[in-house]
Amino acid sequence: MDQIKWLIVTATLLPLLSSAAVIFLGKRVFGRATGWLATAVMAGSFGCAVAALWAWMAAGHPTIVWTVPWIPLNANGSWLYLGVLIDSLGIEMVVMVTLISTLVHLYSIGYMAGDSRFERFFSYLSLFTFAMLSIVTANSIVQLFVGWELVGLTSYLLIGFWFEKRGPQLACKKAFVMNRIGDTGFLIGFGILFYKLGGQLLLPAADGGMFVAIRQLIEAQGYSITNPPLWLTIAGIGLFCGAIGKSAQFPLHTWLPDAMEGPTPVSSIVHSATMVAAGVYLTGRIYPILTPQAHLFVATIGLVTLVMAAGMALVMTDIKRVLAYSTLSQLGYMVLGMGVGAYSFAIFHLITHAFFKCCLFQCAGSVIHAAHHEQDMKHYGGLIRKLPVTALCYGLCMLAIAGASIPYTTWGLSGFYSKDGIVAGAVNYGSALSALGTWANVFWIAPLAVAYVTPFYMARSFALTFLGRPRAQHLFDHAHEAPLTMLASQIVLATMAVVSGWWMWQNLAVESEEWFHSAGVSWVQSAAAIEAHHGHAMHRVHEALLQGWGWLASLGLGLLVYSFGMKISSQVVRLPLIHTLYTWAKNKYYFDELYDGVAVNIGKALAALAGGFDKHLIDGLVNFAGRAGRDTAHGVGRFDLAVVDGAVDGAAALAQDGGRWLRTSQSGRVRGYVLLMFVGLIAGTLALIFVALR
Amino acid sequence: MDMAALLNWMIFLPLIGGVLCLAVASRQAARQVALWTSIATFVLSVILAAGYYGQGYAGVQFVTQLRWIDSINVEYRTGVDGLSLPLVLLTTALSVLVVIASWDIQKAAKAYLALYLFLMTGMLGVFLALDLFLFYVFFEVSLLPMYFLIGVWGGPRKEYAAIKFFLYTLFGSICLLVVMLGIYFFTPEAAAGGASGGGQNTWDMIRLQTDPAIGALFARGGPHWGFAKLAFWLTLIAFLVKLPGVPFHTWLPDAHVEAPTPISMILAGVLLKMGGYAMMRITWPFFPDAAILFWKCAAGLGVISIVYGAFCAMAQADWKKLVAYSSVSHMGYVLLGLAVLTRAGFDGAYYQMIAHGITSAMMFFLVGVVYDRAHHRQIDRLGGLWLKWPAYSGWAAVGFFAAMGLPGLCGFVGEVMVLLGTFQAVGNPGFPTALVYTYGVLAASGVILTAGYILWMFQRVYMGPQRAEYAGYEPVKGREYFIMVTLGLAALVFGVVPYLVFVMTNPTFDGIMKIISVAVPAAQTALGG
Repeated sequence: MDQIKWLIVTATLLPLLSSAAVIFLGKRVFGRATGWLATAVMAGSFGCAVAALWAWMAAGHPTIVWTVPWIPLNANGSWLYLGVLIDSLGIEMVVMVTLISTLVHLYSIGYMAGDSRFERFFSYLSLFTFAMLSIVTANSIVQLFVGWELVGLTSYLLIGFWFEKRGPQLACKKAFVMNRIGDTGFLIGFGILFYKLGGQLLLPAADGGMFVAIRQLIEAQGYSITNPPLWLTIAGIGLFCGAIGKSAQFPLHTWLPDAMEGPTPVSSIVHSATMVAAGVYLTGRIYPILTPQAHLFVATIGLVTLVMAAGMALVMTDIKRVLAYSTLSQLGYMVLGMGVGAYSFAIFHLITHAFFKCCLFQCAGSVIHAAHHEQDMKHYGGLIRKLPVTALCYGLCMLAIAGASIPYTTWGLSGFYSKDGIVAGAVNYGSALSALGTWANVFWIAPLAVAYVTPFYMARSFALTFLGRPRAQHLFDHAHEAPLTMLASQIVLATMAVVSGWWMWQNLAVESEEWFHSAGVSWVQSAAAIEAHHGHAMHRVHEALLQGWGWLASLGLGLLVYSFGMKISSQVVRLPLIHTLYTWAKNKYYFDELYDGVAVNIGKALAALAGGFDKHLIDGLVNFAGRAGRDTAHGVGRFDLAVVDGAVDGAAALAQDGGRWLRTSQSGRVRGYVLLMFVGLIAGTLALIFVALR
Repeated sequence: MDMAALLNWMIFLPLIGGVLCLAVASRQAARQVALWTSIATFVLSVILAAGYYGQGYAGVQFVTQLRWIDSINVEYRTGVDGLSLPLVLLTTALSVLVVIASWDIQKAAKAYLALYLFLMTGMLGVFLALDLFLFYVFFEVSLLPMYFLIGVWGGPRKEYAAIKFFLYTLFGSICLLVVMLGIYFFTPEAAAGGASGGGQNTWDMIRLQTDPAIGALFARGGPHWGFAKLAFWLTLIAFLVKLPGVPFHTWLPDAHVEAPTPISMILAGVLLKMGGYAMMRITWPFFPDAAILFWKCAAGLGVISIVYGAFCAMAQADWKKLVAYSSVSHMGYVLLGLAVLTRAGFDGAYYQMIAHGITSAMMFFLVGVVYDRAHHRQIDRLGGLWLKWPAYSGWAAVGFFAAMGLPGLCGFVGEVMVLLGTFQAVGNPGFPTALVYTYGVLAASGVILTAGYILWMFQRVYMGPQRAEYAGYEPVKGREYFIMVTLGLAALVFGVVPYLVFVMTNPTFDGIMKIISVAVPAAQTALGG
């Protein structure tokens, strides 16, 4: 146990150490070797994680909790704790994050080679990894939130890495603010739980994960999860809002496509292992306290996201944007999976997706690198001849994300296994959800349909980039395969994309499920969905659709149409209804316009209003009081001169002196102050006497 | 050395140093005197803390009690407890940095430094005085040097800003004076149950807090309940001006914009804390029943300060004004934390003061570094500083993100504890659930606004391409790095190890919460089960 604990702590802290070393010493001491150093440290971290996983499996999958006191809450000895929580959910994530981060570090050595801030990039990247690791190993909500915000900060630094340019500036700010909006929901949900459950909420996780302990607390107080009070649903949704922000779900999704303004290695890690994964992970963590209503909410958000994003992925021509929207869509699947109760498959899909999406982005990066930073696929074409290895990797990952399988068998690439389980869960959920009537069927029809759109848009991007004839001869002529560091990373990831599904299907997916049961979550209303894999509804889907020829037809159609560039599609989009849909999707459904036009402008207007109010009204009143004091002083001065002094017999000379004195010390304000003090004293004393006599 | 004597030496050492500053021949000598005086004061405060730290002393320690004005029972009474010690350390530590930051002041440097040292005595006196009259004297004493420091060494509108600052604060002082008179005249009635000195007029702040007989005078339904209600508001207003809270805050942007950088640092870093400290020392413990009666208004003002201050900050084109308004927003958390009458709220409010002392001083200094070179503070005319000075900008990121309340940096601890304290108040008698939720949600949304204005500013100042005029700017000096790095490390340390503060404050706060829990039994409910 101790050994596992220390391995995980080491795996978590190594990236932090390397980040600090690089930022302070990078330029002066390590120079260009920084990249290798940081990669080596990450590899060490990955090694620790694998060793921990191995030991953990050998030990029979224990849940390990370890804590040290951090912030004292009162003198009675209660504390906020720091520490680690190791269970199947967490340890899977640690291994995946460290592996992908190592590969991204490696890839960056080549990709960032020419950058003037080469060293700093690695420092940020390692810090980013540390932040993600501290989320997945956190053993209290507070610690989780600390890592959560640190991920927000480092993503800000990475997305805005090229801050000289306007695009990255706006993108990193947008990402941070959108996430903060989600985080506020998280804090509110946390606040509600805190008030209902008190300080026990802050205690470190008991056996079985922190939210399992919280669920037990809730039930110990006589509340039911299946027939819950409203506050519990709201608290669950509030916490989930954090995930909406981080995992870029509708309606806070707009930051993710913009986040590609960062260097491509950043996209590859943000879209796979770290940031967006954090939201799904969080949903997995809070799962035990989500009520049926909250489940419906989660499922709906996922559903909307996956459909909406697929539409946008169909029409974009920027290669990174296509991938970004496909990420959104896949994240929608994961969140839907969480909502419909296909819990372990959502996590499974998170991990398989991490491999193939990271690889796809790295391949896109290689293409962009080769094409002199041209990202528009309109200018690509035929690149398979110049970048064969990249094309191969891209192709394999395309198959993985498409859920490719050998028809009518259970043999497929990684995406097949994971997406399959989510769709099965959705089918079950949709048929079991009587409350919504016919509408409930949307919950399985839509994800199924989109599962067939996915191969099409991925094939589109592949065909436009690698197949057909070069559309920009100049770019084509200068294109060249990426350096070895980049290729090595791509190859490892592509291999993982092919084999990880089958391997995890045999091993880890079962682990998750086991955790899921042992954690005592099985009595959740949609428990049936977990069994869906073996269930009746599942077979209906499998045999008819997913295991069939559908994916191949869709993929083939995509390849066929787009091998000719945009020629065919440009005719199709002229059709009346399609043109309308195309325009909407192309303009990202006008979300940016809506947010910029409404929310941002309202914010700015309120700021201007508050600023003006402050300057003119509040300060105006203050200045008015000041002036009034001064004018009164002048009045009193004149009164003094004319009446009081005048009344003094034979004191004309004195009056003149007094007048002269008044005139020369023309500091009316100071006198105003004296007067004010005087009046205040009198008024105060009178008030006091009045109160005293009463 | 006798600790009580040491404590008094600490208060008056800067005064002696100030006189010495005026006496020495050259500017350079005056600077040395000021530097070593502030360092010596800091060392004394550390010795004091070492004597106190971790001992679990609940009560006031190292008390000096001397008769001063017999006819009205005024005593010279000083001492330290968990409420004052962290603020004393903040004051002395920040003072050293401020003297270093003042190194380049050329105009009448001797007078400047002398006034600054006088100000130090005033600030330390406020935190360490235990006699209400003495407190008032120090409260006023700290006012005058600040008036001159802004009025003489300030920017173009310095006279206006200085007078505004002075009048505003004086207005607050008068409110306080009225309450003092009332307390003075009413306390003899507490003879019956008085533990000590029954039947006499008293200014003893500790007795005023803890003596149940005096407490009964101002309790709900007590003989002077009407006065207590009035006094709560008068003292609240007095200290709201200092804090500052909306709507008594408009002196602050002007004072900050006009004040020289080091003075802005000490003004935001320490002088604002005098307001929060006095609320925790006087307003709440003296009149706990009134505090629960009026909690809605007080917390409402806090929430308004948070949100309104953030919006105002967003509207500013002047960088320093933006930072000034951020103080209004951040100090709103202090008021909210106190008003909700929970332990987490109190702890959070106090921590927020310490954290803001670090971050606001740092932010003003960061602005000052640029202003010294650019000679303007228009955000729109800056940009690309990150390329010009990467290391400076890195530390700037630490400072601004700490102010934004990023976990792991000091601003987070106070904010989150205040928010938790707010939600914790639900269910206490007199705390309607809906209202507490509303306050909690509004205060939480202040976090988004803060991110908004800080990031927007950060983008416009630090990101983007460099400007041509930067070429002539002199590089950031080692002295300046020293200040930034010290404050940045402090932000980090206090973000990770808040225990450093709580170990001092906990026993004292237990005592204060006991006083308040007479009115609000639930206030003492322990956090963490």
